[in-house]
Amino acid sequence: MAGSALRRLMAEYKQLTINPPEGILAGPVDEENFFEWEALITGPEGTCWDGGVFPAKVIFPADYPLSPPKMKFMCDMFHPNVYADGRVCISILHAPGEDPTGYESRSERWSPVQSVEKILLSVVSLLAEPNDESPANVDAAKLWRENRNEFEKRAIRLVRSTLGLPPPDC
Amino acid sequence: MWWARWSIWIVLCAILTSMVVGNAFYQKKQFYPTVVYITKSKPSMAVIYAQALLFVVMMGKLFRKLFFGQLRPAEFEHLVERSWYAVTETCLAFTVFRDDFSPKFLALFTLLLFLKSFHWLAEERVDYMERSPVITWVFHVRVLSLLSLLLISDLYFVNAAYHSTMTKGASVQLVFGFEYAILTTIVMNTLAKYIFHVIDMQNETPWENKAVFVLHTEVIIGFVKVCLYVLFVMIMVRIYTLPLFALRPTYLALRSFKKALNDVIMSRRAINNMNNLYPDVTQEELANTDNVCIICREEMTGGAKKLPCNHIFHVSCLRSWFQRQQTCPTCRLNVLRAPLPGSNANVPNNAAPAAAAARNFGQFQFPGFAQPQGFPPQQAQPFAWGNIPGWPPQQPQQPAGGAQPNGDNNQGQAGVNAGAGPNDGARGAQEANANANNAAGAGDAGRPQFGAGPIPQFGFRFNVSAGVGGANQAFPFPIPPMPYIPMVPPPPPLLQTTGLTDEELQQMEGNMRENIEARLQCLRNVQILLDSAVVQMQQYATVVDRLNVNNASRTATTSPPSTSGTTDSRVNNNTASPSSSTSTSTSNNNTSSTPIDRQKSTPNGGAGDSEPIEKTIHPAATAGPSRTSQESASSSAATASGINPTEQDEIRKRRLQKFTNNTTAGGAQ
Repeated sequence: MAGSALRRLMAEYKQLTINPPEGILAGPVDEENFFEWEALITGPEGTCWDGGVFPAKVIFPADYPLSPPKMKFMCDMFHPNVYADGRVCISILHAPGEDPTGYESRSERWSPVQSVEKILLSVVSLLAEPNDESPANVDAAKLWRENRNEFEKRAIRLVRSTLGLPPPDC
Repeated sequence: MWWARWSIWIVLCAILTSMVVGNAFYQKKQFYPTVVYITKSKPSMAVIYAQALLFVVMMGKLFRKLFFGQLRPAEFEHLVERSWYAVTETCLAFTVFRDDFSPKFLALFTLLLFLKSFHWLAEERVDYMERSPVITWVFHVRVLSLLSLLLISDLYFVNAAYHSTMTKGASVQLVFGFEYAILTTIVMNTLAKYIFHVIDMQNETPWENKAVFVLHTEVIIGFVKVCLYVLFVMIMVRIYTLPLFALRPTYLALRSFKKALNDVIMSRRAINNMNNLYPDVTQEELANTDNVCIICREEMTGGAKKLPCNHIFHVSCLRSWFQRQQTCPTCRLNVLRAPLPGSNANVPNNAAPAAAAARNFGQFQFPGFAQPQGFPPQQAQPFAWGNIPGWPPQQPQQPAGGAQPNGDNNQGQAGVNAGAGPNDGARGAQEANANANNAAGAGDAGRPQFGAGPIPQFGFRFNVSAGVGGANQAFPFPIPPMPYIPMVPPPPPLLQTTGLTDEELQQMEGNMRENIEARLQCLRNVQILLDSAVVQMQQYATVVDRLNVNNASRTATTSPPSTSGTTDSRVNNNTASPSSSTSTSTSNNNTSSTPIDRQKSTPNGGAGDSEPIEKTIHPAATAGPSRTSQESASSSAATASGINPTEQDEIRKRRLQKFTNNTTAGGAQ
């Protein structure tokens, strides 16, 4: 009998391929290693991230789903809750007991009830509504709070760069 | 490529060594003088050392290939990281034993480092077993041979160090002996884990106790390690000085031991609770609910347990989760602090009789207690617990007399439950309550509070004694369950259970008729409170319904032009075929040319700002359905922020391409 983590990941992969949520694509990088997934997230419509396709990597621990996976954007990101190196800072990816920013309640933390799909959907909504109370990228949070125009311009530039388009002229 | 990098060094070393040896032999002509010459000359020795180091590295690579094959990137990363610590600690150790410094000493340290790295790799490999879908027999052969080899070498070196220390007194051999002893514990731990994994893989069903065994092994090994480290530090302090190089590993060993011990204690408590106190889930219950265990996402066919909060999981999944945290995975109820079903010891006085009465309720359906109050029997009889599940869907359609058929049903149910035995009756009541997410206070012989569930609003609010205290008089019962009731009944006063007077409590104790009647009175008060709560909920529901209807109609009038575009773009996302992309682009042009959109984009024309647009949209549609209008705003926002329509098409096309590429790639995998 293979490990429970592996079986659960396979079940989640199956679920995601049979019934894919809108705007999200995820699956193992290769079938040999089910503990490293690649995901594509589309920017939420109606926000400055609209139209973007953001590649991300999700790394699962051996004891998934008892411990949370880690998620990292593989493209440039400028967002209050994404570290400069692409790591996503979202409360449902933190196991209770570790709290990098000190703003989270216990109830928002990781639990086996969560799944890849829920994580990715949460990240999409995080793109739409940054949480500037516990910023991972302080510059982005500051810009988001103080100069929304400039922030959105940067976001649109990022969106275009993920699509391989040149930055807007203006 | 790998060879290209190393071959330079190999060739360079080979040339240097042959030059040194050749030169020496050329000068001395004989074997013995040549050796003496080389060992006496420092540059020659440097070359020989370099050659030896290269040789050792090559041997290491060979063994690695033999036992591990290709290393995974994560393994390599960990190896490098741990090697750095090992090297720095070795350098610190050199400072203590600088008198013993010799080529032999250096060689022994290098060997130690190599053996250590093989221990780490073996550990990682065995941990990886659980994650790997396919385990070949080569893997087993490799792991077993490696582990036995490591164990033998460890024991040999421990033995050698022991003898050396006994015969020649304390020396650097002490450090080696201790290091190899630690390595032995690592081998043992790895071996134990390997055996557990193998046993687990042999079985078709998951091995429930595996995690427990792993945890206990960890505790034992952790304890041995801590003892070894403490002993070593003490000896070192006595003979030499404080061993700085051993402090970090000592601390780490202590910490991991403490964590393992804590885990074992907490999880043992939780698992104990689970095994002994939480009820097994019967087949019917499994059939009634969505029987997928949320932890492993597999179907539950027996072997499931129900937590105090009514959530159901596999026993094995719960066990492994409880080893991390002692909470319910779904609602995060702390199971160690939650009231336990079946523990009567600390139940407040009034809850126990209430529960007792609830158990016996089915037997007391004679109209005697209900009719004196002037209630029609059908409305008084349905006991509150039984009533709840039927209510939420049925109430809105049935205005006044709706409770009657319900009442009859539930009456029958209660009778059946009570007939099956007191405990079953109580459990039946609890099950019936599961829907309302209110872990019935009367469930399973009574819990201290009414409701340990995640949303126990009503359960907490309307306490038993509240009814006894006089809420009875506060509500004129029965309140007919109608869709609209103009006046909301005032919430009953919040009284504590301690609000019961001794008299009232005494009245409820005993088996005489008046005692039972007092209990029934108490229960009826509870029922009244619950009924009023349901009526309130109903009112809220109708209010919400009305709001929703209003919103829907409002958005329906505002957003028709935008819907075609949004639905198309959704199709575009899902199907990702070239034909739909063309349709999207055309429909997009249509939407952008509609008067509404133009109207939106003109006032903000060159501002490059999407926020004001959103603001103009928001007041029009407030609640959920506003999504469509927001989406239409997005397309106009894009146009407003300097991307012209053709460019937007380009964006969508690229996005589509990216998606289709990936879906086909995913499908190919």
